[in-house]
Amino acid sequence: MTDYLKDANTKQNQEDFLNRIAKAADRPRHTLKDDPFVPVNDLPEKTLSGKSQDELLEIAKKNSEEVHVDFRIVKSAELGHTLNDFIQEKDIKSLMLPSFDEKKWQDYSLGNWQDNLRVDPVYYWEEELGRQNIVNANNSDGAIGFADFLLAESGTITIATYPEQGRTFHFLPTHYLAIIPKSKILPRSRQAMDYYQKAIQDGTLKTSNINFITGPSNSGDIEMVLIVGVHGPLDMEYVVVEDM
Amino acid sequence: MGIATSDKPFNERITEAEADKFMRASVAKAQDAQFQKRTEARRQLGNWEGWRDLSAEIRQHVLKHLPDYLEEFSDNVQKNGGHVFFAKDGDEASTFIKELAIKKKAQHIVKSKSMVTTEIGLDKDLLTIPGVSLMETDLAEFILQEDNWDEPTHIVFPTLHKNRNQIQKVFEKLGYDGDNDPEHMARFVRHYLRNYFMKADFGITGCNFAIANNGMINLVTNEGNADLTMAIPKTQVVVMGMERIVPSLKEAETLDNVLCRSAVGQKLTSYCTFSKGKEANEADGPDDFYVVIVDNGRSEMLNTDFEPMLQCIRCGSCLNVCPVYRQVGGKGYGSIYPGPMGAVLSPILGGYQEFKELPYACSLCAACTETCPVKIPLHDLIRHHRYVEMDQLHLDHSMSNTLLKAVGKGTSSPVLFNDAMRFAHIALEPFGKKTTPEDVKNLYPEGKINHLPAVAPKLAQGWVNVRDLAVPPKYHQNFRHWYRHHEEEEGQKND
Repeated sequence: MTDYLKDANTKQNQEDFLNRIAKAADRPRHTLKDDPFVPVNDLPEKTLSGKSQDELLEIAKKNSEEVHVDFRIVKSAELGHTLNDFIQEKDIKSLMLPSFDEKKWQDYSLGNWQDNLRVDPVYYWEEELGRQNIVNANNSDGAIGFADFLLAESGTITIATYPEQGRTFHFLPTHYLAIIPKSKILPRSRQAMDYYQKAIQDGTLKTSNINFITGPSNSGDIEMVLIVGVHGPLDMEYVVVEDM
Repeated sequence: MGIATSDKPFNERITEAEADKFMRASVAKAQDAQFQKRTEARRQLGNWEGWRDLSAEIRQHVLKHLPDYLEEFSDNVQKNGGHVFFAKDGDEASTFIKELAIKKKAQHIVKSKSMVTTEIGLDKDLLTIPGVSLMETDLAEFILQEDNWDEPTHIVFPTLHKNRNQIQKVFEKLGYDGDNDPEHMARFVRHYLRNYFMKADFGITGCNFAIANNGMINLVTNEGNADLTMAIPKTQVVVMGMERIVPSLKEAETLDNVLCRSAVGQKLTSYCTFSKGKEANEADGPDDFYVVIVDNGRSEMLNTDFEPMLQCIRCGSCLNVCPVYRQVGGKGYGSIYPGPMGAVLSPILGGYQEFKELPYACSLCAACTETCPVKIPLHDLIRHHRYVEMDQLHLDHSMSNTLLKAVGKGTSSPVLFNDAMRFAHIALEPFGKKTTPEDVKNLYPEGKINHLPAVAPKLAQGWVNVRDLAVPPKYHQNFRHWYRHHEEEEGQKND
């Protein structure tokens, strides 16, 4: 039996391959520094630019509803009520919340909200539970989390993975609600990507994963009939906090 | 599975496809629905040609510096704590992953949809490991797996050829006792596969784009299974064609926008994810992250007329506009890569001997070239395959070839050509039928031929089967005769 495993991450495996394709292409290697990529136009930046935050909110609402998202706009004082309504309407019995510290909740005027919940929440990550936390996420029938941005053009929320709010948080629970401040609505995916690229490069964001989520999971694999809700959440709600 | 999905001859596949009325109706419905959605999504984006220019430029730039970008990506994956293996062919890639699964003592493997893993025949290789189970988790791929590994017929909608009743029967074998409502069946699969996901220890994904400057991979999906594959198992293997790379997150973002609109008419699919092995302080995601970069014949396109094919981002929009694909579906092509992109790619990756007919399964209408978001001149490449097959490889040894050679000789010799003119009417007139009032006036003054006897060459029979052939005029009434006479009447010679 061969043993290719020992070849992974070896210089020889890499160089043999790269030299071979450079030869096939009949082009020298290491020419990129003299010929960096220069985009032929600035459409990603220019498209949908120059809109006010009010205009972006309107566009975001329309496009989110088009992708089957329940879209709400609330003041921060009403946010707790809206979240309680979500828990009640979806009949959530096991609620998953992110493990952010008190300050994050206070920023959203939710400092005392968790004290009076009709269900005992499960927090996304508790160190001593290890992978049992993933089982907890699977057993949760609802999750309420915080998104980084909302993209007006496509009705997309963007979320980096944080220790307090990780990958399975957004995929295993049955119903899902994301909270987004109005000030974090961006025109389109380019502006979000500019932020993530810069934050990763300058080290202010350490993350292994960035999710761009556009509505609930869906599929057209059976006779091209749209099915909303496949492996990920069955439905989604975005709550935009107007005065943040 | 490899590239080929069938060992039947081309003509037999086409005959079977022609008889499959459900498949043909499904493909037509899908093409029409996708046309509306795709056109509207592109219109809303605005300046679609500008987006195509930018997307093509990204892909061409990457191909020009492919070794440099792959080196940068590989270095960054390793800096992030991951592992990279460069595989020159499918066997190396598949064997590496199999060895890894054995080393990691994998028991429950989950996969998300990936064309390149189908291309290298990975699933069946992994299933030879004792004690290992494997689950395709994309809904369509799961249906194909449970239906005795049926062939995919579209690169984006692999089960386009199956109806809901057939799918219901597949699920009944797994314990499903509901009706044929697609939503009910999807809920059954959600529950069935969720249980499997929770015990999965080894995940395999494809890769829409690898990000050179940070070592992440980008996946564009709708169901959520790919993200679970990247979140739950402790080991993740990413399998990527070597050309699927972009300089940075920004170019991935540009291409995701044109990919989603072109593939399914969505502004963005439900999930566009950028991912790598987990950070030390994170809770879920893979502890071990491997990337297998596969050549498998791709480098043969570099520095040839076929290099633009490596720009392909697998959106499938060329399939969705192709009039030939509309009639024969994916099974007619006999390749995991069907349609126009398959007619270009299959002979290169799978060999001319196996796929020599595919470049002829094309009317050269160029609708594929027109719709391609990264501006691959698909119909030109298909025509170039014909040139390679005829002039370089001399692959055609059929009667048609002999016949065309005879026609070439006849038309290049004045004596033979004149004789053919002289006897054309006499030879073909017996097969002619009278015209009817429905026929175009003056098109068939001597009658028309729409049937030839079985002894006639197949080339000629094929011609008259699909279009009427006018009976040639009598020798003294043909154009050359008339023209000479006309010159005499005019008293001058026209050169």
